[in-house]
Amino acid sequence: MAIKTRNFNEARQQASTNIELIWWVFMRVSGLLLVFLVLGHVFMNNILISNTSIHYDYVASRFSQPLFKVYDLVMLVLAMLHGTNGLRYVIDDYFQHAGWRNFIKYTLYFVVLLLIGTGTMLLFSFPFDKVGG
Amino acid sequence: MYRGREGQWAFYLHRITGVAILLYLLIHVGELTAAMFGAKYSNAILGFFHQPLFQLGLLSVIGAVLYHALNGLRVLIMDFTSWGTRVQSKLWYGVLLIFALLYIPTIIKIMPEIFGGGGH
Repeated sequence: MAIKTRNFNEARQQASTNIELIWWVFMRVSGLLLVFLVLGHVFMNNILISNTSIHYDYVASRFSQPLFKVYDLVMLVLAMLHGTNGLRYVIDDYFQHAGWRNFIKYTLYFVVLLLIGTGTMLLFSFPFDKVGG
Repeated sequence: MYRGREGQWAFYLHRITGVAILLYLLIHVGELTAAMFGAKYSNAILGFFHQPLFQLGLLSVIGAVLYHALNGLRVLIMDFTSWGTRVQSKLWYGVLLIFALLYIPTIIKIMPEIFGGGGH
């Protein structure tokens, strides 16, 4: 079960398993990192430029730069895991029927793993300095 | 029925924005994956999402991200300080204030681009 508490010591006492405690910590660490990564991402792509001006050349030239490969890979993995674990808490709260609950959860895990995979492939399918410009 | 006060509202908004952001993230990564197949497909899909309806959706997602980030910082303060829980409702009003200060200029900047077609 998800941990519902307001500090680390209580969380440690309430955690049903070590893995739940690790997820509790992960949500806070990844959340803090994502505040900067995602707000930076939104700022770069929606405030500094107009989102409606984004076309293939822009995407390709970003994905061909090593710094953005690392930035986007870290953000992709952290956001996917943070979001999936968050939705797992929500699903546990609102779906009483074990069959449905597990069906929804495993469908979610499948989709998320697939997108982490394709997202990673995407980032590394552009050679450095070759595309766009 | 639990008569929620600030903390309860903060919690529900955190959940709703969180689920909305994850849904957007799944679409967003899927949408960009088209870039693997070259400029033609990529531009078709990016252009599809440049329609005003989706751009308004994106503007809402930006708002959701902003709230979720700021309230997430409030959660961190509550979890890792001795005083955070005591002032949690004040912290929430702080979250709403900073949210408004950042989101209103964002709307003013982006709204004309959605309908003015300034980007292309």
